[in-house]
Amino acid sequence: MNSISISRSLRRLERLQRLHSTTLSQQYRCFSCSIRNQHETTKPPTSSSQSANYTHFGFETVAENLKQGKVAEVFSSVASSYDTMNDLMSLGIHRLWKDHFVRSLDPGINPILFSAPTSSPSTSSPAASSPSTPQGLNILDIAGGTGDVAFRMLDYASRIHNDSTTRVTVADINPEMLAAGRKRAASSPYSRANRLSFVEANAETLTTVPSSSVDLYTVAFGIRNFTNIPKALDEAYRVLKPGGVFACLEFSKVNNEAFNWAYKRWSFSAIPIIGQLVAGDRDSYQYLVESIERFPDQATFARMIQNAGFELPAKVGELGGGYEDLSGGIACIHKGVKPLEDTK
Amino acid sequence: MNTKTAVRLTRQLRHPLPLQRTTIISRRQVVPSSTSSYHSYDHPTPPPYSDTAKSILSASLNHIPEHGFTRKSLSLGAKDAGYLSISTNLFPQGAFDLILYYLATSRLKLQDSVHGRDGHEQQWASGKIDVKERVKTLVFDRLRFNKESGVIKRWPEALAVMAQPTYVPQSFAELSRLADDIYFLAGDTSVDTTWYTKRASLAAIYAAAEVYQTQDQSAQNADTRVFVDSRFKELESAQTGVSSVAEWVGYTTHSFINVLRSKGAQI
Repeated sequence: MNSISISRSLRRLERLQRLHSTTLSQQYRCFSCSIRNQHETTKPPTSSSQSANYTHFGFETVAENLKQGKVAEVFSSVASSYDTMNDLMSLGIHRLWKDHFVRSLDPGINPILFSAPTSSPSTSSPAASSPSTPQGLNILDIAGGTGDVAFRMLDYASRIHNDSTTRVTVADINPEMLAAGRKRAASSPYSRANRLSFVEANAETLTTVPSSSVDLYTVAFGIRNFTNIPKALDEAYRVLKPGGVFACLEFSKVNNEAFNWAYKRWSFSAIPIIGQLVAGDRDSYQYLVESIERFPDQATFARMIQNAGFELPAKVGELGGGYEDLSGGIACIHKGVKPLEDTK
Repeated sequence: MNTKTAVRLTRQLRHPLPLQRTTIISRRQVVPSSTSSYHSYDHPTPPPYSDTAKSILSASLNHIPEHGFTRKSLSLGAKDAGYLSISTNLFPQGAFDLILYYLATSRLKLQDSVHGRDGHEQQWASGKIDVKERVKTLVFDRLRFNKESGVIKRWPEALAVMAQPTYVPQSFAELSRLADDIYFLAGDTSVDTTWYTKRASLAAIYAAAEVYQTQDQSAQNADTRVFVDSRFKELESAQTGVSSVAEWVGYTTHSFINVLRSKGAQI
């Protein structure tokens, strides 16, 4: 009788311990916990080897060589529902941001404007005939995945500039995202006209892209996921022609305190739940909002672009400009122009 | 004699002759530049345009007579300067940045027309020409730049862009800078309340003259000169009118107070 009760209480204790250990190992990532984790995990764990470098993956700190795989995991799992989720999370505003981004870039070359006056009629050699046939822009859309920005740029070039030669190369590290983009491209006229191509590439080592070959380098909502952002900026500087433009559309910091409060509530409470309901993946969207939180603010990122050697478009008399806030700073457009003389 | 030299010295300090300006330029490297809303030789304002922006914008000015104040001119200018047409992303306000650049460079050119070789400075040194005449000369100079650069035909386009609500504050700021520069270069040193009214009225006259100039078909813009002359005359008569009214109001108030005092009021 007594021995039975002892064994039962032991079993209960064991069960309790097991339950306790599982809850401890599984981090509960609600808004308040996330904020606490952010403060706790800013310094890298010291137990690991000294040689490895650390970077952040959301609020977690991971070794640099692991981040790429973790990001790949996130985007592989969300690729199929990526565009639907964007609409839900931003309430459709991401379309306006992307439209504005492309409009402000003004991609494309008008063939009438740039062919006739620049080539003099006296030149008749075959070498001189090449400038008379206008060459469109060579655009590289990094982290373009589903081709959202690429299609917009091609539409803009065709409709506004009557430019049928501008071509976009969509590069993404993730084959699943590229597959989603290819599917969309199949129903558009651009891939048949050889104006749109998809390449699997890492933005930090664009080995397939020759130096000084790109007119416009765009990265929309991608640069925040890069393991080493300065390295990617250096690579962008390398592949761009002198006078070429680096343009980045990315989440940033909200300027207004009250609006920031509401925005943080939305992003930390609603977005992971929407992710769970629609995409069936809470963690990926938790990562998304955490990575936005960890991304440097407007001025810091503008300085990073400047440090990579780019010239920032500053408003007259307004030094240190170079960026344009969208929706009160939720998103932000950064641009830089590669100067003719190497300033680095 | 002694007072005369003293007067000349102060004038030289405010409007240095070319000889003295060289020393100021050398000092420029030592003194950290700062942005200020007033004219200072010790703290020159930093150049607002980078070398890249300057090369593209100045090349674009050559295309304005043909293509107007448009992004087209900017792209063609970028091509001429050795850049790509996409490099115009350096100018977030597009055509308006080109307009601002034209306004700023034309305004700064006035310095050369005063201090440069064959400038007005030598002529003005005699002291016979008063500030009003100098201001008029500078306004004519500025209007002449519009004609010489061939921009005036396209100026209505620029006015339309400048009138867009987002650009109005910057346009007014540039106009006020022009009025201020003209009075500064003319050697106006008064520090009374007319400081503001003078600049405001000059800005109004200049803006009106520019609109008139766009429709002026006469040779050498002779009609515009007549227009500006008559506006300045009106201003003068208005100023004398205002000062007589002020004198009358002051006299009447004084007499009224004195009448009250004579009746025993404790004022």
